[in-house]
Order: sequence, then structure tokens, then C-alpha cells
Amino acid sequence: MLVEIDGLRLSIGATPILHDVHLALSAGEIFGLLGPNGAGKSTTIATAIGLLKPDAGHIRMLGKDPQVFANEIHRHLGVLPEQNGFYGWMSAEDYLAFFAAMNGLSLSRNEIRKRLDTVGLHTRARQPIGTYSHGMRQRLGLARALIANPDLLILDEPTNGLDPRGRREVHDILLELAGKGVGILLCTHLLDDVERLCQRVGIIVGGRTVAEGTIAGLVRSEHRLARFRLKLASDPTQTDEANVTVVAREGEWWVVDLNPALTPDKAWSELLSHGWAITEIRREGGGLEDLYLTLTEGSAA
Amino acid sequence: MNPIYLIARKETGELLLDIRGLLWLMAVTIVLSAFSLLLVGSTELSLLDNAQVVYDMTAIVTALGCLLALIVGVDTVAGERERGSLVPLLLTPAPRGTILMGKLSGVAIAWAVIYVLSLPYLWAVGSTGQNMGQGMLITALLGTPVVLMFGFLGISLGSRADSARTALLTGLVTLVLSASPVLLGPSLRQSAIGRMFDAVNPFSAAVNAYDAVIIDSQSIISQSTHFAIALAWLFACLWFARFSFGKITR
Repeated sequence: MLVEIDGLRLSIGATPILHDVHLALSAGEIFGLLGPNGAGKSTTIATAIGLLKPDAGHIRMLGKDPQVFANEIHRHLGVLPEQNGFYGWMSAEDYLAFFAAMNGLSLSRNEIRKRLDTVGLHTRARQPIGTYSHGMRQRLGLARALIANPDLLILDEPTNGLDPRGRREVHDILLELAGKGVGILLCTHLLDDVERLCQRVGIIVGGRTVAEGTIAGLVRSEHRLARFRLKLASDPTQTDEANVTVVAREGEWWVVDLNPALTPDKAWSELLSHGWAITEIRREGGGLEDLYLTLTEGSAA
Repeated sequence: MNPIYLIARKETGELLLDIRGLLWLMAVTIVLSAFSLLLVGSTELSLLDNAQVVYDMTAIVTALGCLLALIVGVDTVAGERERGSLVPLLLTPAPRGTILMGKLSGVAIAWAVIYVLSLPYLWAVGSTGQNMGQGMLITALLGTPVVLMFGFLGISLGSRADSARTALLTGLVTLVLSASPVLLGPSLRQSAIGRMFDAVNPFSAAVNAYDAVIIDSQSIISQSTHFAIALAWLFACLWFARFSFGKITR
């Protein structure tokens, strides 16, 4: 396991912030950490990377206690923090060279430029960071987090401020890294990102983990209905399927609820085998978003 | 490459290449220029003897050095924290003590820059007499620990305060209090409290030593008590900076 957090409790001054946080992340996995503003996500991350000392609980990062081995953990860790600041007078190339050297790496200018190319900043390598847009800074922050080829990445809102193409590029980078065995802890409010990237999620509310598991598993266990909109080439011969409830029909679109106990891929196989000529599928609410809204109801900051 | 060197080089860049650092240096040169012009151009002030002029100039250089070191010290921690650039630095594998040493070196470089900047001004006002060399030497020897002390205090306050503004205001109040015996005038300084305050005050230690060496022509070695006071405060602030920087959480 790259990250093991169990029973984490922390107070800042007399104010309890974290009550009982737990999560686990293994190599090659992308884990989504969700929760409303002020739920304790950033505090959990700060504690996990050794910046804050917990009152109680078990934390192991890369198999080590961050309170004892912070510097060793940092050697294998890449972090894109929530508040992501830069030295505005430096060029991106110098900035990455500085952080490479701080990590004990001696990268050539060509290697630095390759890293900038990965995040789409190659052509702006010599430009002062002070002139960068928010999205460009996010990309540079990601390049900084990746500079030491970390085994574990912790990213707080990595696609914040990116245009759709930039967002897709970051998704591709993260999926590629996960494919190479890098564990990624993704903290975001963008549920689309989570559904696209994460195998498992943890939802923190009021400093407590209220749900942790695979998205499909959580949706099923919470008995959330998974509602979909199906486009059919022709009317189905049979509409009273055991695992599907037809909610409405709007022209060639059919709105259906799936049995929560059934995964969508099995449901589609079943429907196709029963003569449903499905040409397009769209999610209609339900799923993770519905689960998130229910679990975090009344806790919005 | 040594992380202390890397951070010190980065801090030097903040001072010499960032617009904020350049503006502070420009302000220092404007004050030094105005003060020098007054000393050599004003009819009344130009009547002062050479030793007094050099003494005044070394005192103002030290005061400006303390002010800039304090600002640099606060900015290098609290300013960076507010701009979000401190955490990425803390998350490198470099130990906290190493990062702190780099930042302390940045303060020392800022003082070195001010000292070098002040040399032409010292020459302009003091080159006609015999006191310029002594002035330069005593400023380097005793001004350095006092200026660094205020820089280290800035780092300590920047590490502990919630905001850069709070840290800076606290530091400025401390600096003004330290300089107050000089502002109080001779009669108040001769009172029991004034003498006691003067005896433990690092800023007083520096200017009293300047007075003794430049105006009274005493030897530098005879200023060991003043050196001891300045060094004691320097080590106290170094310890405070080390303690406070180690406690930074984010």
C-alpha cells in the first residue's frame, strides 16, 4: 500500500478538524478524495505528508511514518497543493531546474524541456512565470510535482482553471502514470474527473470518512438508482426486464433505472441479448453525483 | 548541488530580479542619496566634523540594513506562505534545517548588497577625513550581527504569525523599540531605565560602538562588550528562527 490512513484524528488549537478519516491507496491506483469545502480534505493531505501532527490514528505513506521519515517520503512524493505558488521572476525552465536540483537531480536543459513539453509548456519555457495564465501555472505545478518521477502523487484540484483540451491532456497524463504503477490521490470537486479517472473514492464529511470504496460498489451499497438515457434504433420487443425499469420515453430516447445490484456492463449485455438495439447511452443523474449530494447534504460550507 | 546554495541563490534572485526586491533596494538608495546630499549639501550639516558625518552615515546604513533584513526575513517565510510557494519547498527532500540555512543566507546576502551599495555613499561623505576606513570596518564587524539578528527575527516572526502583515508590524515595533534609546536623546538615556535598556539593546550596542570607534577614536578591540551583546542577540534570534521554522505546518 502506498497510503494507509486509519482512524486519523486531529485538532488545530481547541478545534477538532478530523474525527475519523481512513483511506488506502495502492500502486497504480487513482483514488478520488471528495467532500464539501471545509470537510477536512486538505488537512488530511497536510497530515499525510507530514506537515501537521495527528492527535491519533495510523498513517503510513510509502510504508513509512510521515512524522518520522518526512524527508525520505518527500523523495518519492509529488504534490500539487491547493494553493499553488511560484516564483514569478523565474522562467519555467529555471523553476523546474531549481526543483530538480532540490530533489537531488541534475537534469539537462533538454530533459527539462521534455518535462515542460509533457504538460504543454515547451514553447513558453523561457517566459517568466509571472506572465503565465492560471491554467499554465496549473500545468507547471503538475510538471513540478512530477519532476522527481514520484511513486505517489497527491493532486489537489489539478484540472482547476484548465480549458477542456488541457483537462483532457491532464487526464491522459494521470492515466498513463497510473498505468506505470504510480499511485495518485486526487482531491477534486469535479465528479466528471473522478468518474473518468478513479477506481475508488473516499468521501469526507465533517472530518469523517463517510464512504470509501469503488464507485459502482458505493452506488450499489447505498441503493442509489443508476438512471440512464438510452437511444434505441428500434422499439424493443420486450420492456418488462427484471433489472431495468423504464421511467419515460421521449421519442427515440428511453429513460431507464438499472437495478442497483447490477453493474451497467452486465445490464447492457442483458438488454442487448433481449433485442434492445442500443445505439447511444447517457447517464441521467444518479450514480456518484447523487450519492455525493446525499452524503454531503446539510454540510455545505 | 547543495540545497543551501540553491535556496540562497533563489533568495538572491528574489532580491535582485523580482520587482518587489528591486523596489526595496531602490528605496534604500534613495534614502542613502538624500541623506548624503543633506550631509554634504546643507550649509549647517556640512559644518559637522568628518567623524560625526561618518558616524551618522554608518548609523543610517545599519538602520536601513536592519529594516531591509527584517522585511526580507518576514517575506521569505510569511510572504512565500501567502503566495503559496513555501509548501512546495517544504515538500522537497531537503531537511527543514537546510532550507532555513538557505533562507538565512538570503538575509545575509541582502545585507551584503546594502553594505556594498552604501560604500560609495560613505566615500562621498567621509573621504575628506581619516574616519572612513574605521567606519566601514566597524559597520562590517558590528553592523553585521545586528542586521542579521533582525533578519532572523523576521524569519521567526514570519514562521509564527498568521500573516505577513502581522509579522512585519511586530518586527517593525521591535525595531523601533530597539532604536528608541537613540531617538530618546542624551538626558533620557542617562536615566537608570535608559541606561539599563541601552546596556542590553543590540541596536544601541552597534551605535555606541560606532560612536566610540569613529568619534572617540577608541580601538575596535575595546568594543568587546558591544560585540558580546550583539552576538548574544544574534544567537538568540537564530535559535528562535530554528525553533519557529521547524514548527511551520503549511
